[in-house]
Amino acid sequence: MDMEASIEHLSRGTVRYADVLLVVLEPYYRSMETAGRTVPLARELGIKRIYGIANKLRSPQDAEAVEAYCRNHDLELIAKIPFDENVVEADRTGRAVIDYDVTSPIVEELARTADFLLREVKVNGNGAGGN
Amino acid sequence: MKIAISGKGGSGKTTISATLTRLIARRGLSVLAIDGDPNPNLIQALGVGPGVEAEAVPRSVVERRDDESGTPRHVLTRTVADIVSQYGLKAPDGVTVLVGTKIDHAGAG
Repeated sequence: MDMEASIEHLSRGTVRYADVLLVVLEPYYRSMETAGRTVPLARELGIKRIYGIANKLRSPQDAEAVEAYCRNHDLELIAKIPFDENVVEADRTGRAVIDYDVTSPIVEELARTADFLLREVKVNGNGAGGN
Repeated sequence: MKIAISGKGGSGKTTISATLTRLIARRGLSVLAIDGDPNPNLIQALGVGPGVEAEAVPRSVVERRDDESGTPRHVLTRTVADIVSQYGLKAPDGVTVLVGTKIDHAGAG
């Protein structure tokens, strides 16, 4: 489920029934601060599996900044997506980035994320406890 | 498994949601994607052609009822299968997508 921006959906408890919450972080202070407010709220709602996904990384320093933030906030980082010009190009032509170029860095990194999540399902069950 | 994706506006949530949805579907799972953003564009990010719009799921599918202890709960007035068959839109790789909310008029909220 692609959630609206802001943490309003968390304060309203909309994500209470999610088995997994993926928190997207860009290597900028405000983006990481938003994530920093999201994670404790989500934990309070009882979501057990919360993971970070770093996006738009332009340098090793960007990756380090997100890694340090996640370490300090006890958030497991499961993907490090580089800044990918193909996302912009795909959007310009109204296509999905996976259709535009399946070898795009974002697609390759998220393929590893998909494998990780499917392993989680196998190990921990699908967690679909009714509604 | 229900996966929610959160993050600041412009962080890439929609692109990540759409790409992950397609990749999980390619691994043989049946995936229902839900756009919960008031300005929805998950459909296009999933690769459904430009200009295609889904009819948003109306608020009437959810009703507020008090449970035995008097706590208000949101309950569905129709089955999920029913909602998906009426409002679900087919996307590539066998993905189905639902648009949860849409603001049609300024101030309509």
